[in-house]
Amino acid sequence: MGFVTFDVNRYTPRQMVVLPMVLLIVSLIILCYGVVTTGMPAKPGMDFSGGTAITIYTEDSPDVLKTIFSDYPVIAIDSGIANGKFIKFGIMDEATFDSLTTILDARYPDAWQLAQIDATFGQTLQGLAKYALVFSFIGMAIVVFLAFRSFVLAGAIILAAIADIAMTAATMFVIGIELTLPTFAGLLMLIGYSVDSDILLTMRVFKRPGKLDEKLASAFHTGIIMTTTTLAAIAAMGIVAYLGNVPVIPAIASVLFIGLVFDLMNTWLTNAGIIKWYVERQEAGQRKESGKKRGVR
Amino acid sequence: MNRKGLIELVKTWQVALLVILLAVSVVAIYPHIDDGVTTNLQYGLDLRGGTWLQMRFQAEVVGFATDRPVSDFLADLQKTLDAEIYLIGDNKIEIRKYFAENELKPAFTAARGTLTSYEQGVSRKTGEQVKQILEQKLNALGTRDAKVNLLTGFSGVTQYVRVELAGVSRSQAEDIVGKQGKFEIRIHTTGNETEHVLYGDTISTVGIPSQEPGKNTWGVSFTISEEGAKQLRDAAIKYGGTTDPDNHWLDMILDGKTVYSAPLSKDLATKLQAGPVQQLLASTGPGQEGLAQAKNLEIHLRAGALPVEVSLAGTNTIPAPLGEHFTRMCMYAFIAAAVAVGIVIFYRYREPSIVLPMMGVNLSEIVILLGIAAVIRQQLDLAAIAGLIAVLGTGIDQLVIITDEVLHEGKVPSRQLYEKRLTRAVGIIMVSAATVVIAMLPLAILPLQSLRGFAVITILGVLIGVLITRPAYGKIIAAILSK
Repeated sequence: MGFVTFDVNRYTPRQMVVLPMVLLIVSLIILCYGVVTTGMPAKPGMDFSGGTAITIYTEDSPDVLKTIFSDYPVIAIDSGIANGKFIKFGIMDEATFDSLTTILDARYPDAWQLAQIDATFGQTLQGLAKYALVFSFIGMAIVVFLAFRSFVLAGAIILAAIADIAMTAATMFVIGIELTLPTFAGLLMLIGYSVDSDILLTMRVFKRPGKLDEKLASAFHTGIIMTTTTLAAIAAMGIVAYLGNVPVIPAIASVLFIGLVFDLMNTWLTNAGIIKWYVERQEAGQRKESGKKRGVR
Repeated sequence: MNRKGLIELVKTWQVALLVILLAVSVVAIYPHIDDGVTTNLQYGLDLRGGTWLQMRFQAEVVGFATDRPVSDFLADLQKTLDAEIYLIGDNKIEIRKYFAENELKPAFTAARGTLTSYEQGVSRKTGEQVKQILEQKLNALGTRDAKVNLLTGFSGVTQYVRVELAGVSRSQAEDIVGKQGKFEIRIHTTGNETEHVLYGDTISTVGIPSQEPGKNTWGVSFTISEEGAKQLRDAAIKYGGTTDPDNHWLDMILDGKTVYSAPLSKDLATKLQAGPVQQLLASTGPGQEGLAQAKNLEIHLRAGALPVEVSLAGTNTIPAPLGEHFTRMCMYAFIAAAVAVGIVIFYRYREPSIVLPMMGVNLSEIVILLGIAAVIRQQLDLAAIAGLIAVLGTGIDQLVIITDEVLHEGKVPSRQLYEKRLTRAVGIIMVSAATVVIAMLPLAILPLQSLRGFAVITILGVLIGVLITRPAYGKIIAAILSK
């Protein structure tokens, strides 16, 4: 793992925050582009936009499927690994829909899954999801602020969380992961996850005695293990579920995985950079006040 | 660790609690052999197959303003719209028929009022009633594992009702939800003998529970068709109900069960003698009990028909064999995640006496979580499983924090120092646990369908970790290090 050889103490605070801040700005631009072009900062999946989708477990090729469903408004046919085929349909009336299920039952008994959401219901879910996102974020910010009671420290953690979410959402947009209920849950969970290592870092630096360099290094040592264990669990879960053609889980796993990778950067560059700057500034202030006295106690 | 040390360890409350809860959880999950290995765990539809139907109410809650007396205004409105209208609060009405906002506006103007707000859906009360009707119907059909949930927005307007039916295809599910019971009214002739009067198809409208003016007895009014009214009159006269009402009770029977039985009132008997009566009222008695009975009677009179029409807004069907496949895959995914965590931890500490307790505590956390899920009957669906595996990941995180905090500087700390460090580690864990709980809380509360399970499992997992397994791990790791 290349990341493990990273030395938190080698760089100045400015050097540390440059990369994440550039990425954050790029991400925000991507998200704005998404809002302008599609009305949402991510490609809305069926849960939010409505539509009909079927998953069939069959050896039939996409071309064969195209002929079978030629009478229906097919939008896209994707094949997953093994035999999973994912077909998206446009809006159809009740009778067409019923005949579709008849065909499925006749041709692929017990090997299909069907989901249908109408656009209005998707809108309702979108509205609820927005509330959830806002409440989660405010709640997290309050907890973090109460825990540290410092605008700089709490602000750094909140900034890191915003960066995590924004970068993950932007990546989803770019690589085409749709925003569905499961991936949305993954994003919300990132709010909780991302502060995990930030809190460890902040607590270690400000509640433990010792030199800043040592504390940063030891926090990094613990933090990297924490995040890699979680990454390992999530990757294993996602890969097995993906290979097994299980829906929902791979989507949640990929969002969490992407988010945690960004979290490594945002914790150990963004947040660590701000903390380093904050501590050095405090030290400088103390030096001015009392000549020789050095170090944070 | 020697035997004595182990006993000492189990005697600390933290470890004892863990062991007890672990045992209780295993009992709660209750793995047993019954046509393969089964447990008390509740699986969601996507793991055992079935259908959910999300239905939107074809009705709306509308705010109004008018200078006229409200009753006059409503009467006019009712005439123009030809729909059931109920006043549900100050200046709010529920219209039990679908109209778009711009269709309603002219009607409001015509009744000399204005429309102040519009939202498709029904009042919470009506929503609850729909839920109750569907639940009763599903129970009556012996449909096990059926769930009915409402989706109510922040404004208090219930917009959707969702029915989950395990092991049922979409067309079956729609049949079940749309199916009406068989309703019949019979009249007592002599002794216990009864004769048929009319069937439920002659009932045209059913009112909501109300009190007759000037009386405190509750009742439900309903109207029957002209034909039904004729049948009722003929039967009442033929069997002597009009002349001797007290000895000729009317029974209301739904699906073979008598749900209401009462004599004809003197008043009605006289009216029937004179001619057919279409507007009827079944009274249920005074007080809270009368009201409760009236509510039930209303449902029975509707014979399972919903007071408000619904339209399908979304559906998802998972065939049962596919659900079984998903369950198996989830199991593999869980095992793979546990193994992956084990490998990373071992790579980091290379000390079985640390890695094994860590994994043991981590897995016992999952067992306790499943135990609680079994007790509170939390459904495990795919999203919840993802939450469960994520808990495995975060749980191990926090054990790493404790271990590293305690092992700091590679030396075995003195008892005092150890306690101090453990407190600090717990501080870190508490704050991060609080943020996860807070971040997940909206998902647990908002009716965002399957995400509720995900959020509930995550929150429970974090709480179990903070309150039970982490403190126990602190004691265990201390005992191991002091060896």
